[in-house]
Amino acid sequence: MKLTTDHQGPILEINQLSISFFTRLREIPAVMDFSVDVQPGEAVGLVGESGCGKSTVALGVMQDLGKNGRIVGGSIKFKGRDLSELSAEDLRDIRGNEIAMIYQEPMASLNPAMRIGKQLMEVPMLHDNASEKEAYDLALQVVTDVKLPDPQRMLDSYPHQLSGGQQQRIVIAMALMSKPALLILDEPTTALDVTVEAGIVSLVKDLGKKYGTSMLFISHNLGLVLETCDRVCVMYSGEAVEDGAIAEVFDNMRHPYTQALFRSIPLPGADKTARPLIAIPGNFPLPHERPPGCNFGPRCDYFEAGRCDQGAIPMADAGPGHHSRCLRFEEIDWAAPPANTEQPPANPPGDPVLRVEGLKKYYQVAANALFGGGQEKVVKANETLDFVAHESETLAIVGESGCGKSTLAKVLMGLETATDGTITMGNRDIQSTPIEARGTKQVSEIQMVFQNPFDTLNPSMTVGRQIIRALEVFDYGANDRERRERMLQLLDLVKLPREFADRMPRQLSGGQKQRVGIARAFAGDARIVVADEPVSALDVSVQAAVTDLLMEIQREHKTTLLFISHDLSIVRYLSDRIMVMYLGHVVEMGQTDDVFSPPYHPYTEALLSAVPIADTSVQKKHIVLEGDIPSAMDPPSGCPFQTRCRWKDQVPGDLCETEVPQMKNFGTHQIKCHLSEEILGRMEPVIEIHDSGAAAALAENTA
Amino acid sequence: MEPLTYTGALGDVLDPILGISVAALLVTSAVAIVASVFTAGERVVLNPDGTAAIQPGLSGMVGRAQTYALWAVLATVVAYIVAGMVVGYSGGGIFGGMAQAFTPVWLSLVALFVASFTYKRKLGLYGKLFDSTIGMIGFGLVMFWVFTAFYAGVLDMIYTHDPLGQVSGMKNEPPGTALNGAEDTDFPFYLLGGDNLARDVFSRMVYGSTIVMQIAPMATLFAFMVGITLGLPAGYYGGTLDTVLSFLANLILAFPVILLFYLLVTPEIVQTGLPNYMAAVLFLFPLVFLGVLINSRYRTQPPTRNLYLGVTMAVGLLFYFSLIMDQTSTLGLFRLWPGFLDLFDISGQVLIVFVSVVFVNSPTVFRIVRGLTLDIKTRDYVAAAQTRGETPWYIMLWEILPNARGPLIVDFCLRIGYTTILLGTLGFFGLGLPPESPDWGTTINDGRRLLSVYPHPAIVPALALLSLVLGLNLLADGLREESLRD
Repeated sequence: MKLTTDHQGPILEINQLSISFFTRLREIPAVMDFSVDVQPGEAVGLVGESGCGKSTVALGVMQDLGKNGRIVGGSIKFKGRDLSELSAEDLRDIRGNEIAMIYQEPMASLNPAMRIGKQLMEVPMLHDNASEKEAYDLALQVVTDVKLPDPQRMLDSYPHQLSGGQQQRIVIAMALMSKPALLILDEPTTALDVTVEAGIVSLVKDLGKKYGTSMLFISHNLGLVLETCDRVCVMYSGEAVEDGAIAEVFDNMRHPYTQALFRSIPLPGADKTARPLIAIPGNFPLPHERPPGCNFGPRCDYFEAGRCDQGAIPMADAGPGHHSRCLRFEEIDWAAPPANTEQPPANPPGDPVLRVEGLKKYYQVAANALFGGGQEKVVKANETLDFVAHESETLAIVGESGCGKSTLAKVLMGLETATDGTITMGNRDIQSTPIEARGTKQVSEIQMVFQNPFDTLNPSMTVGRQIIRALEVFDYGANDRERRERMLQLLDLVKLPREFADRMPRQLSGGQKQRVGIARAFAGDARIVVADEPVSALDVSVQAAVTDLLMEIQREHKTTLLFISHDLSIVRYLSDRIMVMYLGHVVEMGQTDDVFSPPYHPYTEALLSAVPIADTSVQKKHIVLEGDIPSAMDPPSGCPFQTRCRWKDQVPGDLCETEVPQMKNFGTHQIKCHLSEEILGRMEPVIEIHDSGAAAALAENTA
Repeated sequence: MEPLTYTGALGDVLDPILGISVAALLVTSAVAIVASVFTAGERVVLNPDGTAAIQPGLSGMVGRAQTYALWAVLATVVAYIVAGMVVGYSGGGIFGGMAQAFTPVWLSLVALFVASFTYKRKLGLYGKLFDSTIGMIGFGLVMFWVFTAFYAGVLDMIYTHDPLGQVSGMKNEPPGTALNGAEDTDFPFYLLGGDNLARDVFSRMVYGSTIVMQIAPMATLFAFMVGITLGLPAGYYGGTLDTVLSFLANLILAFPVILLFYLLVTPEIVQTGLPNYMAAVLFLFPLVFLGVLINSRYRTQPPTRNLYLGVTMAVGLLFYFSLIMDQTSTLGLFRLWPGFLDLFDISGQVLIVFVSVVFVNSPTVFRIVRGLTLDIKTRDYVAAAQTRGETPWYIMLWEILPNARGPLIVDFCLRIGYTTILLGTLGFFGLGLPPESPDWGTTINDGRRLLSVYPHPAIVPALALLSLVLGLNLLADGLREESLRD
């Protein structure tokens, strides 16, 4: 039963909300003085870095703060009723019925032992006493609405039989089953691939319109918020620092944190030499170590001692519907270009150091490991890769999960041996030398930086010890003292204080851990560093700092960087050349500018369109890929991309289904596609920058 | 002399207090259960000025009363102990006498708790244990028996009579009986009575803790060494090795434990030397473990490696051969080691118990370690170690094992408990330890025959066993709970 049906005014009113968590040591304020209204049918974005309290707000709305959490001030009103005054039964009626929530990890939101249909039907049967028949019909209709193929079969399957994207669609369907008035989405696409993410985002937008649902969209990704929301609220360290309409906040920001955030993300136009990113100095304050006055004060360029550090700062009006929690926003010249941007010297690529020719990696998967027998299956993880990497060059390897980029890294490192083809490093073939058979020098020359900062360091060994261990293995130094000295130098290199040598990894933040990971990779003076999504798990403000650090070390050491990523924004910013992979094939390769301008491989085109860009002046072509990435166990015949390609009908006959295309050369730019050169030539650019502030500034800068 | 009463003169004062406080605790607990069904719990109310207040409600008040009652019970028990320590058996009866006998244990416990409590924030997981009531109770029980075993076994304190000595006229006497024909130097009472061979039950219980404390933790430690040394490669390499080892582990687990023990102690089997061969194999694992541990860590610095490895192996091999070699063995193979290097012998019976306990426990440890390894080997730091060319054993022992320690420590505590019970079971069936051994299992078995007439010789060691195992379980619970929180 819906509690209130005819309510006028905002769906959700949060007024000066404060939430604290109580641990055995102290009270930890997680959210302070937070206010936001959500109007009917409106989508409000909540952006901020991890630990800023955005998810706590969502849990507060659900009144689900756990044993330690408590609302210590302010009110949350849903359709005019104060949620903290409702009884447990009333809250149960509201949750899942009038307010629905969608979480980051779809598999964790679905009961693995229950068929999808049963789980969906539970919602109306529980909340509206619907009959089984009504519930089934509704489930069928909603599953059709979230654009899942073959809805009846979907309802009959178990969650594990679906792909990640399909699971998230089911979670969305479940949230929509009760036609909620408010939908809270907590990082709904973070665990998904970009092209899948694009599909989910456009689905959420359409459904919001169709059902008239209000949305609270929580994300750390500014680009995603720009695409989905009407208004945005930027949070920093437990406080809302700025809120307003999307265009207002993105183009006329009135808080230094928002400005710093935008300067630290790679927007089109940023370039590692001409216009480098500006990282936010310092670290995010711990909740119990917040500075007096403005929380952002110690990291702010406009900080004024004696004024910004004197007591709490209230939200102030900065235009119609636009608020800022800054004392000085009226004095700051917001149009001024960033100060002290020294331009690092360009870094021309040198001689080839790594040459890969016709590399193939197949895995044999037996159906039954113990007794043999069964059908042996072959997984083609890498299919005839050819590329060359030069000294002090950044070669980006772009692709989504399952494209074979991690297998390529494993083969390069020697953790696997190649099935066919050659890898030449320096002047030696290493394709069939496993790591145990490689010499110390060979091992230390090619090293890796890993993706997950919370996983990259051994949690039970001090930071210094881990770096020293790498030095020991690489035969550096004659004794422990020399190695310790070198370890301290490496900490200097990655700009960490020397005291960190004796700390345990859990005492470090994500960005700091990633720096230790980089120091460890460079312990043996690596010539080639394979960086597997080194910044994708970091917060945006930290991403810029770590990226710049990598670039700086590369310039000094003339390292070859193989940068594996799915994030085209960062790839565009830092790479010299790009290699796009799909299902084990290289589908496109070329200089960065060539890859980002037409002609495109159809997959690259979709990938470019899928990446959310946090810039209002960017106009993107809207291309959403149908379906999911096929399994590498059972790849499609012919061209690997033919199942999802929107250009397929432009190719005569059934060429796409039957034959793997040849690489077509366009100067330094190669595309693996059956499309005729004439059609490729007619392609339009996906990303266009409209003439406005950002573009003008760019032009000025380059002039 | 008059036989002692349970609480003596002290009881005139303390017994009624204890009775009242226990009754209060029972009543409040019952009310609390009823109240929790019918009324809501405490509610937080926000005042307009932004402060929060807790409205206790009925069940909140009952809960508070329950807490007070519990404290009253505890305070009375402490009063018994403290007063008993001062007045001894003459004023405090049997409990007073025991409280006085355990004086060094009480003092050690107080010292340990005060010290740990003061520095608990600096002591890592051990310090966190003192935030959990359950954990503290468990730790207290376990340490009580550890200290008892130490003072009794090493310093010959606490127990009042020779645990094996018989005094005529004391057969099956009830607790508190005065010693027949006591000399001036003798303790004048059998505090907990005599058993069917006229030995002091209290002294046997105290001395039995020494045996339990020696065998159970050591056997568990060895079982862990075996389980870890096999579980790590099984999980890390997987494939055929894993299949074979897991199959063997399942085979042992599926075999009835008691039957296995019966087989192992059958004289014909002992004659073939099977237990000795098993000991030779099982005791090799700790050596292998330490050797690989050191070698993988220092492989890049051969001089350091050779030094550490040499010292460890020399000491380890000396112990190993002393342990498995027996100059009196009927098998020639086990007399090969020169006698002057054979530092000690352990009796055949103890060896068999030890071997069988290790043998049946290690498959379970193996499975736990294997599962943890399967999980941890997917972490990036393991991949990082692989990409810098570390040997598989370094990765297993230095990258994976330290990060699996949490669940292993908890399991270690629980497993000491199981092993203690297993020792009791073995003793009960008359397997393993010699029949006059004062260990708890054997004593319970001895006392069982006259249980309906004279229950005290069996009940005393049974309660001792219960409290130790309970303590270990609570300790494991506390550790698990605290290691999950931060």
